[in-house]
Amino acid sequence: MARPRTAGEKARRRYVLIYAGLVPFVFIAVFPIYWMAITAFKQEPDLYVMGNVPFWFNLPPTLKNFRTLFYQTNYGSWIVNTMTISAWVAVITLLTAVPAGYALARLRLRGSENLGIAIFMTYLVPGIILFLPLSRVVATLGLQDSWWALVLVYPTFTVPFCTWLMMGFFKTVPMEMEEAARVDGCGQLGALVRVVLPVSLPGILTSVIFAFTLSMQDFLYGLAFVAPGDQKPVPVGVPTELIRGDVYFWGSIMAAALMVGLPVAILYNFFLDRFIQGITGGVVK
Amino acid sequence: MTTASLRGGPEPTARAAVVSGPASLARRAWWRTPTAQRHIFGYTLLAPAALYVILLVGAPFLFSLWLAVSDANVGDPVAHFVGLDNFRAAWEMDTFWIALRNSIVFLVVAAIFKTLLGTSLAFLLLQSFRGKKLIRGLVVIPFTLPIAISVLSWKWMYDSQFSVINWVLSRLGLIGTYGSESWPVWLGQPHLALAACIAVNVWRTFPFSAIVLLAGFTAVPLEVLDAAKVDGCSFLQRFRHIVTPMIFPILMIGFLFDTVFTLSDLSVVYLLTQGGPGNATKILPVLAYQIGIQAGNLGRGAAIAMMLVPLLFPAMFLVLRNLKRREW
Repeated sequence: MARPRTAGEKARRRYVLIYAGLVPFVFIAVFPIYWMAITAFKQEPDLYVMGNVPFWFNLPPTLKNFRTLFYQTNYGSWIVNTMTISAWVAVITLLTAVPAGYALARLRLRGSENLGIAIFMTYLVPGIILFLPLSRVVATLGLQDSWWALVLVYPTFTVPFCTWLMMGFFKTVPMEMEEAARVDGCGQLGALVRVVLPVSLPGILTSVIFAFTLSMQDFLYGLAFVAPGDQKPVPVGVPTELIRGDVYFWGSIMAAALMVGLPVAILYNFFLDRFIQGITGGVVK
Repeated sequence: MTTASLRGGPEPTARAAVVSGPASLARRAWWRTPTAQRHIFGYTLLAPAALYVILLVGAPFLFSLWLAVSDANVGDPVAHFVGLDNFRAAWEMDTFWIALRNSIVFLVVAAIFKTLLGTSLAFLLLQSFRGKKLIRGLVVIPFTLPIAISVLSWKWMYDSQFSVINWVLSRLGLIGTYGSESWPVWLGQPHLALAACIAVNVWRTFPFSAIVLLAGFTAVPLEVLDAAKVDGCSFLQRFRHIVTPMIFPILMIGFLFDTVFTLSDLSVVYLLTQGGPGNATKILPVLAYQIGIQAGNLGRGAAIAMMLVPLLFPAMFLVLRNLKRREW
């Protein structure tokens, strides 16, 4: 009788220790989001009373901050801008990265290994080194002060990353499928389009997601290239337009942050392992 | 199908050609041969991505080298060669040295904390327990939120008067009430401001460290560990001689990526303090932005951004070496 109980106790103690260890991490990770959410639904006066417990509503919750955002700011345009920019970036990325990844992974080109690494390394050239010369490029093309500038520059990091990702992905597609298609009379392009691409849809979808999420992670290019209030993407518009001098509309700022941040975080969450796999060179299973 | 036919066997096209008759093979011009066709097809597919990268990363990089040695200005389209004047000017600027020092302090202190937090979290997540997926999903949120968005939440938490952090500390009796000497103004006091910016960077990237480490751990085959155990290796020996060498390349890459991103990130500091109070939180990216874009001095800004290269270069070189050692 005694033995199973001690084993059970031991297991229970182990669980308690693990959860006790995890609680601080979860708290640290999630609290800023909670703080964002609760602030977004609070009435203005509720934010600025020091005597109250700030963790819950002291006045009834309100949607006023969200209404302000949509009726009195460019928030609606920023969302449209962000989605349009990301969609264009995804299209450009797919049209360039998928063929390139395929060529590097499957066609046994001379020096394909080094070419692949060279393309990936450009992902590591940070925006802070490129943004000044790119500002000249953007100005020369007449794209300054419009979100088209961002459509042009965001692929500088999505193309290298997704090429690398697709390269890893195409390596996992069995060669036999392609060869069978070739034997059956498909041309090179035919084999790619009819056989390889359909089975690579998960990889292609991953690339699209990264084109979206990596575009959303940018702040520098948006800040440097797009000045007009109605042309900005959300991550740039919120911090630069909703703060007027020393006046912070915290309720609206947090509402704006929450509405965009949360969906992106959730989406990215599902693809995080692919990201890690991508940057560690695909050794991780 | 055997491996030999996969790697070393005849080309698919060659085989197709054999099927369609060997006579046609001899009559083909060199560019009609299967190998040439494959190369033409391959480089055509590669061209758009390569062009994009060359035109919008390679060329701008070279262009920024030119900017750094020119007197390029936002208002004036014609730039002249000025030699190393921009670098000399940066060299003589106190702010530059402060920014360089802050950048290095930022990088090192942040790295220490995210390593500690990331390692402990990785060890916890390595255990099996119920709700692991959910908890893992929750703790990686800081890394997945767009940085410019999450910094705003921190800015509100660091508010000079209504900071929730201060509210808690004050209720716990650790600090005085608002207005008293011991009331910390997180973004207004030089040392606190730098610490506050570093804290946000650590908050954002410790999940990344943990996940990379975890990926490394799970890549170690259990059989190898078991074999070592049977052979009488202690836990520490197994860790030191098997786990560490096996996960080292992955750790290295994660670490180097983080170095590049932390050193070149402007958003945290720019949104929290813009480099203030005084120059207490000024780091190189913020300085480069302020001089290059806000003051319109492209040449000087490019020169300052270029100063990041010697700091970034070792990291990039090591990533390259690590990637090249990969199995293909």
